[in-house]
Amino acid sequence: MSSKEDILKRIHANTRQQYDMPDLSLNAIVYEDKLKTFIEVLKAAGGEAYVMQPDDDLNAVIRRFYPEAQRIGSNLNEITCATFNPDELEDPRELNGTDVSVVKGEFGVAENAAVWLPCQYRYKAVYFISNALVILLDRQELVNNMNEAYRRITNADYSFGVFMSGPSKTADIEQALVFGAHGPIRVTVILI
Amino acid sequence: MKVGLFIPCYINAVYPEVGVAAFKLLKQVGVDVDYPLDQTCCGQPMANAGFENEATRLAVRMEDLFQSYDYVVGPSASCVAFVKENHPHILEKAGHVCANSKKIYDICEFLHDVVKPESLPAVFPHKVSLHNSCHGVRELHLSSPSEMNIPYYSKLRNLLSLVKGIEVFEPKRVDECCGFGGMFSVEEPEVSVCMGHDKVMDHISTGAEYITGADSSCLMHMQGVIKREHLPIQTIHIVQILAAGL
Amino acid sequence: MSTKHSIAAARFIENRPQEKWHDETLWMVRAKRDKQSKSLPEWERLRDLASAIKMYSNSHLETLLQEFEKNAIANGAIVHWAKDAEEHNQIVYDILKEHQAKNLVKSKSMLTEECEMNPFLFSKGIDVVESDLGERILQLMDLKPSHIVLPAIHIKRQQVGEMMEEKLGTEKGNFDPTYLTHAARKHLREKFLHADVSMTGANFAVASTGEIVVCTNEGNADMGTSFAKVHIATFGMEKIVPNREALGVFTRLLARSGTGQPITSYTSHYRKPPKGCEFHIIIVDNGRSEILAQPDHVKTLNCIRCGECMNTCPVYRRSGGYSYTYFIPGPIGINLGMLRNPEKYADNVSACSLCLSCSNVCPAKVDLGEQIYKWRQDLDRIGRANKQKKLMSAGMQYLMERPALFNTALKFAPLVNHLPRFMVYNAVNAWGKGRELPTFAKESFNELWKKNKVK
Repeated sequence: MSSKEDILKRIHANTRQQYDMPDLSLNAIVYEDKLKTFIEVLKAAGGEAYVMQPDDDLNAVIRRFYPEAQRIGSNLNEITCATFNPDELEDPRELNGTDVSVVKGEFGVAENAAVWLPCQYRYKAVYFISNALVILLDRQELVNNMNEAYRRITNADYSFGVFMSGPSKTADIEQALVFGAHGPIRVTVILI
Repeated sequence: MKVGLFIPCYINAVYPEVGVAAFKLLKQVGVDVDYPLDQTCCGQPMANAGFENEATRLAVRMEDLFQSYDYVVGPSASCVAFVKENHPHILEKAGHVCANSKKIYDICEFLHDVVKPESLPAVFPHKVSLHNSCHGVRELHLSSPSEMNIPYYSKLRNLLSLVKGIEVFEPKRVDECCGFGGMFSVEEPEVSVCMGHDKVMDHISTGAEYITGADSSCLMHMQGVIKREHLPIQTIHIVQILAAGL
Repeated sequence: MSTKHSIAAARFIENRPQEKWHDETLWMVRAKRDKQSKSLPEWERLRDLASAIKMYSNSHLETLLQEFEKNAIANGAIVHWAKDAEEHNQIVYDILKEHQAKNLVKSKSMLTEECEMNPFLFSKGIDVVESDLGERILQLMDLKPSHIVLPAIHIKRQQVGEMMEEKLGTEKGNFDPTYLTHAARKHLREKFLHADVSMTGANFAVASTGEIVVCTNEGNADMGTSFAKVHIATFGMEKIVPNREALGVFTRLLARSGTGQPITSYTSHYRKPPKGCEFHIIIVDNGRSEILAQPDHVKTLNCIRCGECMNTCPVYRRSGGYSYTYFIPGPIGINLGMLRNPEKYADNVSACSLCLSCSNVCPAKVDLGEQIYKWRQDLDRIGRANKQKKLMSAGMQYLMERPALFNTALKFAPLVNHLPRFMVYNAVNAWGKGRELPTFAKESFNELWKKNKVK
């Protein structure tokens, strides 16, 4: 008997009372001003938010946040400040040393400032390896909470996707909060 | 409405004044209360130590003692909780159906939910810190447990609001365990003492003169720490405050 | 009447400043959790739902696991089934061998701890690198985690700094957490870039999509899986959730409970292997199917490993993770240890005052304290009841079943009040460690009542 058959047989023999799947409907929290909440929670998570003004130039805004950046990676046409397109690299290791990556988020979640990022790059490393990550997000694309978020992607097709909330962090040394454990040290969400 | 007063073993032996105050208090609020003689123990110490079967005959005995009463009321939340939560399955194993579990109340719960007095003659011009005991809070629901997202309430605080001159405080860790835990206190004495010390210090930090609560066992534990360390606070059972002056 | 736990706990408490720091730091995490839980009006409903979903999924594992496998295979993953730790470790090793891998970079997984995978792979010559900062610190110090979410909570910055001076060549005497963390970032970056194979656990495995979900704050799972050509994900079968909608409930509870954050920095969904890469998934039983047959304990399978029961446990906070003999400490560890091997892990059952705070904080409503009470009832049967305690309990029973004898005892009890201190507070009197005995009343309540003195 294969291990699979053996395990399934044991599960079958040992399962006692069977319970029904509960009705998942609930009155989950909604926010009066999702944008305001998103920005507040993002700050608390160590991230930065910037709301684009009518006269703003996107590339100038990115440059203002990261004036020192030398290697800026993006596959987005509108990101003219990018110095290279990560999709053209033959090896994801070449991404090491990237100062800023610019990516697009699909939607944001007000309750926890997470942005849903289904991988839009040849290498998912783009989302994690640079010292700073800039996420472009349509400010109309905000949901209140994770229940709404998952309903929105119930049947979405992706290879890899991540809900990302602020920069990489750790408190493993005496519970002292430090940003940039492995991933981006800074995360800037630009709300368009 | 006939009420049988339940006096747990250690109150009988160490804190008879708590039993006396409970009796006076129930009388004062117009309850027909009686004490069935020769009570001993509900069996909790043995069961919590892992010898639940040793509680069976004690549970049967309690059933007999309180058979003729409409309510069983006791001044010890933990013992009451044990009867309520555990006597049913202990008795079931011995072929009995537990009657006490449905009619037993901690005295504060009974006053608050059943008698509902609008006033008491008690005067107690002191600062007290409320000891929200584990089983009182998490089994008998005498107050809102700090872990849960439900509106704040405290039946003890409500009752104390009937006492003139009193000022009520609560410790920072509002319902953290005092470390008694029955046999736990002697099986894990270092942790138990450490918890007791921390809890007493938290009560002292409120500026209170007294620690008060519905559980004499917790109070006994904290009193042991206070006496050993000569700390500037005293313990008093809540019924002694509610019955002050009677 | 001591247990291994109580002895180790006493040692932990001897260093009172460290004990106090440990207690207060973990209490702070509990306070952060309270703040988060109270920010959601639907918190208690979420806990109810989490529990109900787990009760459903754990009682439908037979169908859900097969649904998961079918979908995972359709996604391009290779699915393995492991009956026990040995088979699990062998599967991992076989994959490594097949790819001639010399090193493995892994993120935190309680399951690989449970299977004692690292020592096994080391013995086969594989360099296993833990990539969670806390786990890496412990690995370099040759220590085990003392908490399932905050593995290095018992280590001080100076110890970390001194170790890093030696192992990573950091500046002498620089114990700044930011400096040390960034030094570790550099060190592990190299490991990530040159990993042959990467490994992760899984917080959730979604039956309807065949994907696995990994939650981290550091992004170490994501970095690890970004460069190696092979990703192995392993999970205990109770990690299955029926669909993405159910994830909505759990991802709202997990980090709020565990660390007091609204969500972890990264909630990563691994569904299909990147082009040219392999994605292996191992479904592990290792005793879980046996738990299904124990109605009193089946709810332990609800556990989502948030670690909050440790943070709230007044005993854990004051005794530290190493005082427990099972590799998972605290309330959930006491229970899982007993389910693993009750004879071997019975020493942990004393580490509970039955305050029930754990049952109240648990996001999936595992009745942790109530189950510990039940395990205590089994100790005598399995021959692990403490003799002295048993004697005390039996003596008490004898006395309490005889009211006349009890009343007589009460009459004479006040004599104890007058015994010389050395007789009352001797070495065998555990109560006397740090506490005065209560004073027996001159007349018991029963006596007062008989004499008609209660009016």
